[in-house]
Amino acid sequence: MSDRPVADGGSTADGDPTVEMAEQAERDEPDLDRGVFEAWAAKAISNPNRAYRATFYVATIFFLVTTLFPFYWLFVIAMTPRNALSTTGVLTPGGTPRAAVDLPLIDAALSVPVGLGPINPGSFVDIFQTLPFHRYVFNSFLIATVATVAVLFVGSLAGYVFGRLDFRGRNPLLLLVLVTSFFPPAAFFIPLNRLFNANVDVLRPLISAGSLYNTPYAIFIPLSAIFLPLAIFILMTFYSQIPDGLEDAARVEGTTRIGALFRVIVPLSAPGVATAGVLTFISVYNEYFFSSLMTDGQPGNWAPMLEGTLRFQGEFEVLYNLMAASSIVAVLPVAILVVVAQEKIVSGLTTGAVKE
Amino acid sequence: MSTDTRADEGGSVLARPLDWLETQSEEVYAYVLLVPAFLLLAVVAFYPLIETFRFSLLADAIASADPFGEFVGLDNYVALLTGDTNFTQQFVSVSLSGSFPFVGFGAPFLQQAIFVTLAFAILSVLFETTIGFGQALVLDQDFYGRRWVRVAIIIPWAIPIVIQAMIFFLLFNPTIGFGTEFMRWLGVFGNTPLSSSSDSFVIVLVADIWKTTAFMALLILAGLQSIDRGLYDVAKVSGASPWQRFKYITLPLVAPALLVAMLFRTMDAMRIYGLIDATAGCETVPSLTCLVIIALNESRRWATASSVAFLTAVVISAFVVVYLVALRNSDGGVA
Repeated sequence: MSDRPVADGGSTADGDPTVEMAEQAERDEPDLDRGVFEAWAAKAISNPNRAYRATFYVATIFFLVTTLFPFYWLFVIAMTPRNALSTTGVLTPGGTPRAAVDLPLIDAALSVPVGLGPINPGSFVDIFQTLPFHRYVFNSFLIATVATVAVLFVGSLAGYVFGRLDFRGRNPLLLLVLVTSFFPPAAFFIPLNRLFNANVDVLRPLISAGSLYNTPYAIFIPLSAIFLPLAIFILMTFYSQIPDGLEDAARVEGTTRIGALFRVIVPLSAPGVATAGVLTFISVYNEYFFSSLMTDGQPGNWAPMLEGTLRFQGEFEVLYNLMAASSIVAVLPVAILVVVAQEKIVSGLTTGAVKE
Repeated sequence: MSTDTRADEGGSVLARPLDWLETQSEEVYAYVLLVPAFLLLAVVAFYPLIETFRFSLLADAIASADPFGEFVGLDNYVALLTGDTNFTQQFVSVSLSGSFPFVGFGAPFLQQAIFVTLAFAILSVLFETTIGFGQALVLDQDFYGRRWVRVAIIIPWAIPIVIQAMIFFLLFNPTIGFGTEFMRWLGVFGNTPLSSSSDSFVIVLVADIWKTTAFMALLILAGLQSIDRGLYDVAKVSGASPWQRFKYITLPLVAPALLVAMLFRTMDAMRIYGLIDATAGCETVPSLTCLVIIALNESRRWATASSVAFLTAVVISAFVVVYLVALRNSDGGVA
């Protein structure tokens, strides 16, 4: 972070100093004593568009560095051998040989990396051996997938009703759905916690303990409901855009009402369904509150990925490199999803909000 | 729930309810299709919300098997708001009330939690709106590689909260992160920022801004792209500078989208829990949700926890109402 302003200043000031000086000279400016920066400033004043363009580039580079740098640094820590962690630098792994270089003008020295120190890609293997981290990630994946399927199914029915049908009580019911997303999860948690910890004899054949605590249901049921309103809003928007004629044609051909929904409306709104699906998956995978409170943190008890990552923070002494490595592994699925489905994410977030 | 039975049973059993559905009016059909969604919402949201309110009217029963005692009316709320509620040891810790600069020494814990939550919500939404506006203006331009810049800006939004917390935990860890050293060099932080309330508050704030600015940026971008480009051409022809074009065209036209985006972010920011729990810990930076969990897990005061939880919901609703009124005044039909 500390090196950012320097980099930015550099890119604006010396973007094209020689060309600029030459141009300056050609245009027979009387004042020839200007430095590079002053010359640039003079040009910017005479032609404001240059200044706006420069601001644009500086801003773009600034945003790129601030959003991506933490991931790079996480990688640096993951590659640092455990005994060198305390010497981890801003840009280089710990243990890199360094030499002090005196800075001109100010009384300070900068230690500059020279050569390569030992690096340790083994962290990425260790995280699966110290803890069954793959099991945690699998649990998260399963919960997110099941929740996504459930939300898409239930949300499709509701989105179809709100988007295409006219009936009494439509607006109050829609408002009720919206209100649910206002409340903090904490306001739902205490009764749910009681409910999921209660022993229900009916469940005994299904779940050995007889209560929902420490089962994937305890996480995926609340999360499905919490992320359902957003999915309903997205699906409602997409379903309402299908022309009535197509649905009527399917009905004339002999499908049932439900058949028309799942054979005509849903396939035609595939982009909308994908959008709602991607957003639900990411939201459930990333959720913290219920995910951290509804299991006891054992991988065999369906504890999600976040418990695995936190284990490296708490249970063992100082496994900073493993924390970093596990974070990178856990980020990969969503990072890939963002790269593949960024248009869907953008359109989903905006329709979800604009509808309101 | 109806989905399960439908999957289990065969086609012939399925046929009869479907036939019945065919013969019903559109209205009945609509209600039937809404049943699964509202069943889910009722179990997870409506019923618990009412229960939370009911619990909050009962007394704490710390020792007995059932955590709730007799009916005490609004006593829990009165005790919380007047600062009479005493929590166990960590709540009266001197470092907490002493080092947090904005709240007076020894302030009641709930007031601190409300203050932390509101301060966090307001500051984070302000910063995120400003920076998000900048990002949206960048993304609104047409340039080579725009797709990848957009990916880079969205990625922090999409990462799990626990990973976000890990990144900032490591950055400000005194032994390995350079964040502490840098902030100390600036003279802002102490030696162990993650155990000081005010330093941790800043860390949590920065972490949240880093992650959720992208969300604001995307919503503002949608507002920007709905502006008629012809307006800019007219302004250019009449000689408006880019700053004037921004001030007189962009800003007023994007305002409704901006307010909606801010409403969403404020509601979300007031629920802050995971980020705090995984970095500094709930005792260091107490938010309202943190308070619920501490009261629940560490002192087993379920009724008090319920009243804090319900109070959180009330505070958030109050904010929502303020926003909705502002929205209605600003532009009529948006809300």
